[in-house]
Amino acid sequence: MKKLHQAENRKNKSISYAKWGYIFIAPFFIAYIIFTLIPQFLTIYNSFFETYRDGLTQVGPNFVGLENYKALFTPEAEGTIRILKYAANTMIMWIAGAVPQFLIAILLALFFTSTRLNIKGQGIFKTVIYMPNLIMAAAFSMLFYTLFSRVGPIQALLEQWGVIDNNFDFFSHTITVRGMIALMNFLMWFGNTTIVLMAGIMGIDQDLFEAAAIDGANSVQVFFRVTLPLLMPILVYCLITALIGGIQMYDVPQVLTNGRGEPNELSRTLVMYLNGYLRNKNYGMAGAISVIIFIITGILGGIVYKILSAQYKEGAAKHRERKGNVI
Amino acid sequence: MKKTLAVLLATAMLFGLVACGSNGGGSSQPEEKTEQIEQTEQGKVFNIYAWNEEFKGFFEKYYTVPEGVTVNWIINPSDGGVYQEKLDEALLNQENAPADEKIDLFLAEADYIGKYVNSDYTMDVTSFGYQNADTMYDYTIKAASTDDGVCKGVSFQCCPAAVIYRKSIAKDVLGTDVPEEVQAKIDSWEKFDAVAADAKAKGYYMTASFAETFRAFSNNCTKPWVDENNNLQFDDQITAWMDQTDNYIKNGYTLTAGVWDTEKTNEMFKDGKTMCFFGPAWYYNFCMTNAQDPDNGCVGDWCIVKGPQAYFWGGTWLLAANGSDNTEMLKDIFETFTVNEDVCSKLVENENQYPNNTTVVDKYANDESYGNTSILDGQNDIKVFSELAKDIKWENHTNYDQLLNEGLQNKLQEYYKGSVDKDTAMKNFYNYVKETYANINVPE
Repeated sequence: MKKLHQAENRKNKSISYAKWGYIFIAPFFIAYIIFTLIPQFLTIYNSFFETYRDGLTQVGPNFVGLENYKALFTPEAEGTIRILKYAANTMIMWIAGAVPQFLIAILLALFFTSTRLNIKGQGIFKTVIYMPNLIMAAAFSMLFYTLFSRVGPIQALLEQWGVIDNNFDFFSHTITVRGMIALMNFLMWFGNTTIVLMAGIMGIDQDLFEAAAIDGANSVQVFFRVTLPLLMPILVYCLITALIGGIQMYDVPQVLTNGRGEPNELSRTLVMYLNGYLRNKNYGMAGAISVIIFIITGILGGIVYKILSAQYKEGAAKHRERKGNVI
Repeated sequence: MKKTLAVLLATAMLFGLVACGSNGGGSSQPEEKTEQIEQTEQGKVFNIYAWNEEFKGFFEKYYTVPEGVTVNWIINPSDGGVYQEKLDEALLNQENAPADEKIDLFLAEADYIGKYVNSDYTMDVTSFGYQNADTMYDYTIKAASTDDGVCKGVSFQCCPAAVIYRKSIAKDVLGTDVPEEVQAKIDSWEKFDAVAADAKAKGYYMTASFAETFRAFSNNCTKPWVDENNNLQFDDQITAWMDQTDNYIKNGYTLTAGVWDTEKTNEMFKDGKTMCFFGPAWYYNFCMTNAQDPDNGCVGDWCIVKGPQAYFWGGTWLLAANGSDNTEMLKDIFETFTVNEDVCSKLVENENQYPNNTTVVDKYANDESYGNTSILDGQNDIKVFSELAKDIKWENHTNYDQLLNEGLQNKLQEYYKGSVDKDTAMKNFYNYVKETYANINVPE
């Protein structure tokens, strides 16, 4: 009897711990459900309706099935499907910014964590490279706009040096506009990535670097055989978050081109497109675009995760194998 | 335990739904409450929605706010329709807002005033005892009135617009800088274009923006942007503007800058090379600050003439928001800026405005000693404007004008800058229209 009672007690005790666990995580879930999950379902729901505002009068909501999606994927007279054009713009600008972002971030993270280099005044460097991220994206692109505008200092300087002629306009060439956007995204985010990757590298067991050094590995070998495979989980995390942020690219191109996505809408991103519909609260079309962005994000995130984590598992397996051999 | 969690989450979800539900209800039309309001006590907070600081400046200088009343200015930029969006949100929520947060007065521009006038969100001015005066220009009343003639607000300005030219450049190009003689040389678009070629030959620009002459054409349209079946249509005036601009850009008579761009306003400095600017009286303060620069400006080197085609541009209307609890103050403000001759005279003398009061206007127009010296060479601009103001008609406006005019200019600007061809620019414009107004049909 006593034993049974004890068992019951123990059971109660374990349950009460679980209770506290649930209570502690509940705020997150409540906030998540109210501010993310429900809006997400409402977005999907709205995407099947014709609903917008004409002046101050609400039109709809009228159920239209998949009409909004059909409209999005209907090619124009000469065959362009606009949403694909904007998706391509977004990806090109993201890749152009993300490639240097990751290369520089990895390089800097290696420098800062290297015990051999032992760089002095790291605190200052880390603060400085993180700085651009603290500026509001809108303010940052306003700054770029002022610098590169037709009456800005860069234009005047380059004209004086004879690099460009008087008619040159940074905002009417695809490559310069996209370049500026990529550059801004790169400047804003490489510091952040560096800090995260540094944390990842510092989490790697120092014994492994020592062992590699004793075995006579050079720094390139150490990087590719030791650092990179063990850094992979953090790198995958950084890439996926950067990718999600990239697909949602909005503020930098919006402010830089004053919402026009010039030239010829070649710097217009998916979210800028979505926002065009929100001007008159066209939640149907905007919802459909959101759903498509959601799907694209899911697919691309999945692909990146699959590829990189497969490599990582492979590397880890090999590592284990080798370790086994040694023993 | 799982049950508790489930209940918790379900409550959260319900809460979310309820929150969304009540929000959705906000879009219903507010009831006519004007009758009640007359009896109620006056509020202590006066909220004004505006898109710039222009009227705020006049308000603070010339209107004495009753003791105990706080005035809140909520200012959002007009560009890209931001002001309209914010205002719409606030108006749709007007009914549910606490008395001190309700909008009392909001400003509207010619390009979209109809949207608010023809809605229940604005209030009949006679409901709080304001009467339109005979001294007001008819078109300003018509613009602020519903189709049945119920007036919902007033304008403190009248906006006949003219050609504002640089005297020194006119002297060089035309051989004269006397307004009558200049007018004779540019009184039709053919003559204007011919002068543009002469100006170019002497190293000047005729205008400083591809869209500078846009309003002179667009405010003379004989059909609205959208027909009765909601089809987008181009008036001959708009196509004429496009043809003229094609020609001007091709020949280098003008710049590829927009009307509000720094590149254009820089042309108003002393060393600017541009002869003509197009604008009404508010243009002096609003666009010509560079000309008034103490070091690099050129005050006194300007005169105005009618130009090739009479037109008006813009104007700021004050609309009474339905649900306001400060109706006495509304009446007072309306009277101050329309019938108070003292204030209207100050608007002319101190602020370079053209007021909506014919008595005051006539006083200055017939006053030989009056002349504008803060920008012009002492010419009596009120006299010129008063002739032009007589012909202003209010017709062919739609609620969509602002974003259609803005969109057309933005998309064509890319063509004029050479980054796209004309067909692409037009296609981009149609797409922009489709996105912005789902109910307007565009050509395929």
